[in-house]
Amino acid sequence: MKKLFVYLAAIGCITALSACGSGKTAKFTPPDGKLDKCSLRFSWWGGDDRHEATLAALKLWEQKHPDITIIPEYGGWDGWTEKVSSQISGGTAPDVMQVNYDWLVSLSPEGDGFYDLGLLADRLDLSVFDDEVLSFGRMNGKLNAVTVSVSGRGLFYNSETFRKCGVSYPETWSELLAAGEKMSAQGCCPLDLDIQSGSTAWYLAVVYVQQQTGRQFVTMDGELGFTEDDVRAALDFYRELEDCGVTRTVRERANEDGNAALYQSPSFIDGRVGGVLEWGSSVGKYDMVLPEGTLTAGAFLRCDNGESGGWMIKPSVLYAISKDTEYPDEAAAFMDFMLSDPECAALLGTTRGIPASQRAEKALETGGLLGGLANDSDELLEELDTVTISPYMELPAVKELCNSAIEKVSYGKADTAQAAKELYTSAEEYLRKVRK
Amino acid sequence: MKKRSYRNPVGVGKYTGLLLIMPFIIGFSAFTLYPFAASFVLGLTDYDGVHSPGFIGADNFADMLAGSEFRGAVWTTLKYTLVLVPLKLAVSLLAAVLLNAEIKGMGVYRTIFYVPSILGSNLAIVIMWQFLFTSGGLADQIMESVGLPAIGWYGSSGSAMAIIVLLRLWEFGSAMILFLNALRDIPAEYYDAAKVDGCGRIRAFFRITLPLLGRVMFLNLVLQTIAAMQEFSAPYMITGGGPMKSTYTIGMLIYDEMFRFHNVGYANAVSWAFFVLVTAIVLVLFAVTRRRRGEDT
Amino acid sequence: MKKLPLYILLTAAAVVMIYPLLWLVGASFKSNEEIFSSAWFVPSSIDLSVYVRAWRTVTPYTMGHYFLNTFLIIVPKTVFAVVSSVLVAYGFARFDFPLKRLFFALLMGSMFMPAIVTVTPLYMLWSRLGLHDTYVPLTLPALFAAEGAFVFMLVQFFRGVPREFDEAARIDGCGSLRLLVYILVPCIRPVIVSITVFTFLWTMNDFLTPLIMISSVEKYPLSLILRLSADSTGDGYELRKIIAMSVIGLIPSAVVFAAAQKRFIGGITEGGLSG
Repeated sequence: MKKLFVYLAAIGCITALSACGSGKTAKFTPPDGKLDKCSLRFSWWGGDDRHEATLAALKLWEQKHPDITIIPEYGGWDGWTEKVSSQISGGTAPDVMQVNYDWLVSLSPEGDGFYDLGLLADRLDLSVFDDEVLSFGRMNGKLNAVTVSVSGRGLFYNSETFRKCGVSYPETWSELLAAGEKMSAQGCCPLDLDIQSGSTAWYLAVVYVQQQTGRQFVTMDGELGFTEDDVRAALDFYRELEDCGVTRTVRERANEDGNAALYQSPSFIDGRVGGVLEWGSSVGKYDMVLPEGTLTAGAFLRCDNGESGGWMIKPSVLYAISKDTEYPDEAAAFMDFMLSDPECAALLGTTRGIPASQRAEKALETGGLLGGLANDSDELLEELDTVTISPYMELPAVKELCNSAIEKVSYGKADTAQAAKELYTSAEEYLRKVRK
Repeated sequence: MKKRSYRNPVGVGKYTGLLLIMPFIIGFSAFTLYPFAASFVLGLTDYDGVHSPGFIGADNFADMLAGSEFRGAVWTTLKYTLVLVPLKLAVSLLAAVLLNAEIKGMGVYRTIFYVPSILGSNLAIVIMWQFLFTSGGLADQIMESVGLPAIGWYGSSGSAMAIIVLLRLWEFGSAMILFLNALRDIPAEYYDAAKVDGCGRIRAFFRITLPLLGRVMFLNLVLQTIAAMQEFSAPYMITGGGPMKSTYTIGMLIYDEMFRFHNVGYANAVSWAFFVLVTAIVLVLFAVTRRRRGEDT
Repeated sequence: MKKLPLYILLTAAAVVMIYPLLWLVGASFKSNEEIFSSAWFVPSSIDLSVYVRAWRTVTPYTMGHYFLNTFLIIVPKTVFAVVSSVLVAYGFARFDFPLKRLFFALLMGSMFMPAIVTVTPLYMLWSRLGLHDTYVPLTLPALFAAEGAFVFMLVQFFRGVPREFDEAARIDGCGSLRLLVYILVPCIRPVIVSITVFTFLWTMNDFLTPLIMISSVEKYPLSLILRLSADSTGDGYELRKIIAMSVIGLIPSAVVFAAAQKRFIGGITEGGLSG
């Protein structure tokens, strides 16, 4: 009996050790120039509209390429990052993946975390993308991912609230502050800014400072572009926004809305909160809870001297190919179909935002499928001199540092100088660690 | 035959017990030992999920103890556990005693009392809590009706903690079931005898019921303490850890560092520190109740 | 009529306990803005078509398929968990053997590590064995008493069974296993029912492990399907459908609980020595 126990324990240990020690066996498969019969796994996250449209697009693909079966893997956003990171570290990643912007930094900092799409240019038509758009997916000189759509946060206002308060939409920062004073006197406020996952409080403050200084908060290489004084200026500006009643204080907001998203809070649905700073590609859910046509796009704010830069854009989602795929040609062909095929584009619509591929965008335009708030905001944004958001700025840890600086200032636990110093030091330290 | 004692209750043969727990030994070696070992090793590295891990010794532990974040989370978690567990034991015991009465339709009541525990972390609960505790919500209305000023529940640290405790307190189902399981073992004759002695119902509860529930009380105490120490989803959903990190538990810290911030090495170091903390607490619970339980483990 | 106060007390408490469920059912008929503007559960109109759409899901399968998947996980897992936990707990509660304290400490200790720390290494383990995207990682560990809490519960309840029962049986020539099956298990039957119910309910709600382990949509358990449509990063969403899905998803748990609750109690003699 004792022998049995020893024997079993030994087996357990060996299993554990071998699992621990054995390296990854995955190997690189170069493109072979042919499209073979195979099946590919394609994963994405999203809501119902995206799932339905994508499944319809996959049907179309199967008609066109009966030899290449696509196995879809999809789900909601919650936990999806964890799932994909586990798959990538386990060497079981899907062949084609929808990826989030900051994953490039966290999963492929040296550019070797995904397949180098530069090798697949035969199958993947990159000429339909702007160079700038392509550069979003480049890590360390290697094209890791292709941008599906580009989006920027825009201002969307509740026209009814503004009408009732007798205030017109602000065009400049000073008009925003004035609107805040006027509307807060009537129990409303022109804008909601959050320190949750959206971190729009910090985002707006960054835009303001970027517009004035021309420096970027975090550069594309992951360095801090702001000086400590810039950080302080941003926090001071946020302070001013609260003081003028442009936005509720963090405490007021928590008391009124709890931890719920703005579109789930009565204060927004009742119209007391008159505006939101949101990605053009995600504004639909705010629109949906207000009477039709109430939410409209406002101007991107500028300085009194007319300077209008500093507003930011980023790829909302990208597609990448697994570095372990056995079928790179087939995966690239499928990715090209998803990105640029006109028929496919018509099926997908704007479920992943307005397509960055010019061919797909054209297909939507001729099909009359572009329009609505997202498009309005997009057109306004195109006229501006925009800044590309660094993927490093999108890292959850960086957002967290910024959010907690705003929270401390708002709760009066730190003055802006202290909070700026703390944010500057900790962000610099973190970025240094991530850049490595 | 060997002399019988608590240490060797009535079992026969030295290895029968070992054979019986063999599933656990195998499972532990296969599914627990490896993740634990992996976690410990990773805790000594700067692993970030991508780069190959570099050995940094105890640096993660030093960082952890030097920074205020870990200490804050430990303190928050301990406070939460200390408040929640006694309240939850009291409420679930009370509910179990009420639901143990033999009246018609008791099955329906039992089921209803368990409903919040089935709901777990359902979206409904998040929204219900929002309706209850945001400004002008039901909680404020109740406060006003008794002449108290409205509280900003979500915006201040103490009250934010209170609403999380309330949520978990309200989900007392599992503890209640274990109490129900145990209540049946108390023979009705005990109560009959107490009645004859002129003992009231409340006195009977304290004289008879409570002492006889010692074992299950201990069981619930340990299980609820472990659960409370690991709390993650309630603050994650209800307060997001705020305001000013006042509801940020160790569970949230580990989750953030692991999955959101990709500080995998650090997250594993924190997990091991947490492991040691929980072990210490449970050992204390075992030690202080040992004499009353009269058992060796 | 002596019981009237008890009824009143229970009913009042029951309202507090069940209100969110009523609200949830009501909300499945409400529009997005109606959901967030009123805490009252009665919807302004009732349209059952949302349940039809919820049942259909956006996947090629209906929710019926996902119920089946969930049961394919739950049934073996529950059987495994009950059998293995009872055996292991019996060993700990009634026998003495070398290193007993150490093993018991390891058992307790295995409960203390947060699950999110172990899920990734376990994924690595299973994927190297080629068993990711199967139900093996979700069910097989249960065969080895993976849920320390269950063993701990059972140990406590086994100890509550008077040792005279064992002695009497031993004198009658009963072996260790027969003693367990015919004497001890009937004594703690309600606890075993409880463990069954806990396994069922916890598995229904478990999200993280299946999310990491299962990739194929056709193999998803219900808990993944319930979150399939919830996308906070995206654009449009129809909350009432998400809610309708979760209402459908709660039905099995409620039914199982309602069916099992009778068995949570029942006198020790009733199951014990009479047999």
